Amino acid sequence: MPSSPLESIATRAFSRRRFLVGSVLGVAGTTLLAGCSPTGTTASGGKGGTLTYVDPEIPTSAQVQESGTWQTRDLIQNLTDRLVNRNPTTFELEPWIAESWTRSDDGRDYVFVIRDGVTYSDGSPLDVENVKRNLEWQVTGDTKNGVSANSQFPRAIAVDVDAATRQVHVHLDTPYAPFLNVLTSWSAGLVANATIAAPHDEQVKYTRLIGSGPFRVTSEDYAQKYVLERRADYAWAPASARNQGEARLERIVWVPTEDDAVRLGAVTSGQAGILRYVEPREETALARQGYTIVAKTGVGLSNQWFLRTTTPPLDDPDVRRALFHAIDRKQILTEIYTPNWHAATSVLAPHTFGYKDVSAAFAYDPDQAESLLTTAGWTGRDADGYRTRGGTRLHLKTYIDVYDNTANALFQNVQAQFKDVGIELELNRLDYASYWGKAFADPEVGFLRVGWPHPDPTVGLIEYYSKDGSDLLGLKGSDTTLQRLLDDQLLAVDDAERAALLEQTQDYLVTEKAYVLPILDDSQVFVARPGVSGLELSDGALPLFSGVSVSA
Amino acid sequence: MLSLGYMLRRALQSIAVMAIVYALTFLALFVLPGDPIENKISNPVNPLPQATADGLRAYYSTDQPAIVQFVLYLARLLHGDLGYSLTNGKSVAALVGQALAQTITLAALALAFTVLFALGIALVATFARSRLVRELARAVPVLSISAPSFLVGYVLIAVFSFRLGWVSSITDQGFVSLILPAVTLAFASSGSLAQVLIQGLSSARSQPFVTVLTAKGVAPSGIVVRHVLKNGAIPSMTLLALIVGDLLAGSVIVETVFNRTGLGYFTYTSVRDQDTPTIEAIVLLISAIYLSINLVTDLAYAAIDPRIALAAGGPRRGSARRRAEVPA
Repeated sequence: MPSSPLESIATRAFSRRRFLVGSVLGVAGTTLLAGCSPTGTTASGGKGGTLTYVDPEIPTSAQVQESGTWQTRDLIQNLTDRLVNRNPTTFELEPWIAESWTRSDDGRDYVFVIRDGVTYSDGSPLDVENVKRNLEWQVTGDTKNGVSANSQFPRAIAVDVDAATRQVHVHLDTPYAPFLNVLTSWSAGLVANATIAAPHDEQVKYTRLIGSGPFRVTSEDYAQKYVLERRADYAWAPASARNQGEARLERIVWVPTEDDAVRLGAVTSGQAGILRYVEPREETALARQGYTIVAKTGVGLSNQWFLRTTTPPLDDPDVRRALFHAIDRKQILTEIYTPNWHAATSVLAPHTFGYKDVSAAFAYDPDQAESLLTTAGWTGRDADGYRTRGGTRLHLKTYIDVYDNTANALFQNVQAQFKDVGIELELNRLDYASYWGKAFADPEVGFLRVGWPHPDPTVGLIEYYSKDGSDLLGLKGSDTTLQRLLDDQLLAVDDAERAALLEQTQDYLVTEKAYVLPILDDSQVFVARPGVSGLELSDGALPLFSGVSVSA
Repeated sequence: MLSLGYMLRRALQSIAVMAIVYALTFLALFVLPGDPIENKISNPVNPLPQATADGLRAYYSTDQPAIVQFVLYLARLLHGDLGYSLTNGKSVAALVGQALAQTITLAALALAFTVLFALGIALVATFARSRLVRELARAVPVLSISAPSFLVGYVLIAVFSFRLGWVSSITDQGFVSLILPAVTLAFASSGSLAQVLIQGLSSARSQPFVTVLTAKGVAPSGIVVRHVLKNGAIPSMTLLALIVGDLLAGSVIVETVFNRTGLGYFTYTSVRDQDTPTIEAIVLLISAIYLSINLVTDLAYAAIDPRIALAAGGPRRGSARRRAEVPA
């Protein structure tokens, strides 16, 4: 979630919210004790009714290839369907709009059989021709219309269809092992031909996002209110969905509400039924008062810090390893977070394809950290207690992550823990707009935070650490072992082979080279009022509203 | 004392000022690093292939030199096209129109409350018989100036929305949703206005014409409403104009607390995101608002006090200003 360039405003907003939280939780207790019927929901015995949902962010573009933000993913997840689904409980792939598929042994050819009878909310059919158009659109984009290609997809495909057998044949010149996984992505949502043909400034509107999902947006009052209405004819949910038919809710009123305290107050006073993101310290109090906390870590990449080997003193592996052992995640989780948040155990999140627990490499061990720093020559101590070498203080610089509301507390906690072993951590702040531009370009920066849920771990790791991606480690391909591990994954169409390569990559990045320091697993937290039930989160920790019901 | 020549001069001056503001804003934004398109292209989480990146830059014209971009912006502006937001791709005209509609309604009500609060406080502080009441009334502006808007807003929300449930804290219910933010804005802006009014009224009530009117047998209420208030209000006109400008420019804090997306909020988010087309449109609009208000204020001076003549440099008082007023 973004912070602001008007830092004083943001800081005041953060501190002032404490004032209201007391009132809010007081109201929560009063309302529940009085048995008030929440106005945030209207119900009719478990089916039907309206849910008011409050989200901390204003949805950005509805154009699916541009849908990177949490709030946009959350919306699109409920408006569109995908060819393939990842079961949110078993995390295995399962059919969705593609009722079955086959892959050739060389990984170059895929045949998808498209489910019969699926339609978009404008009544047009989701047939093989439409699937072909979607796939080509994702791969090539529509540059003249300002639509970029989906970078998760392969760079080139050839698609043929057979309407009689409802088959879509996809041919890749080069094998692309992540292909099935990226088809589960929020940004791979299938849309009607009318959406693809619309000018870009129309595609950005949610009312023009014509999907085949359980809901459609019937009105959009930008930044104020988005009304989602269920599709009464929806009957093509994936097998793992608890609700196989039309959504239980008749309508969702989606209200962006940036102020944390007002969002919480809206739910506790009954003006809204579900919210996304509450400060960890409020989770426990709300749970005690009967609210349901729904939290999940999505598959993909964990919250991690990449260490720049080009920035001294991180060019020294011993210093990097010292950082690994200087962070006490247990203390951080106890002091800042709740049991819904977890320490990272790898650069990948648990349940992600190919995940391996490599947490032994960064177990909290301050003695080991001190010993490594001594070995690295940082043996002196200055008046402030920081280690020195040749009169130079052991100093690291970073910028506080602008995408995580808990980042301030997290970074400050780590700063204190680093000080305990004699490392000075300089924390800097940037606004949301210039974060990528300035923080990543600053040559003095030792590390920064990356890592969010992703439909495929290989694509995610390549985006970060390959010379063909963002090359965050600044290696420029000089580490041929890492580059080979990443490149080979793309071609490893055999699942066992790719899983083994992923495990090796995690070992290499964390245990062997100490390039990347996993911090926490990224959690999404939702709060539902008593009387609101059935909220589940997808494999990527996005809300699935189809099964939500409200009772009076 | 309005002359067509004066009005024309003022209009031309306003257009020149707006053009300078527009150009300076463009320049300032251009020299700042980063924009939403570059952020999208260089985003390490989602790096775009070079061909796609080039295509996007060309689509949004961010690959052109500054002067070319400026001419493109200007050409579009002259055709009434404000372009598209770099953040969400929506029409800037539609976004700004929506924000302006939100702000105008709120500002109008807040202005009415501001005048009402300030007048009430000033009248009580000046004319109340009890000294204690007068002193208490004089303390209210200090409280309103020093109380943070977010605090006032939170108190109002906690009581009237969360506790009593009279109004929604998150959705727009029409007029009723305007009341709490309008009261919050008015509470903040009425303090300084009340202080100036109190000074003006205190000064006006001690003028000799009050003695003359009293001797003529005019009722005290008539003296206050028809004469003292009219004379005492003139110094507060300038301040009121500034308040109107501030209200129309929007308030980030109040709009965020009350979940409104008016001009203040849009200014904040578009600056945060370096959304150049949106910022340019908002700057143009807000400068037009301030210039119009200045003009209206100058005209209002002349309307309230006919001794004030309008000249090229703005309102100018005649020699009568220095004479004691003797009403006819």
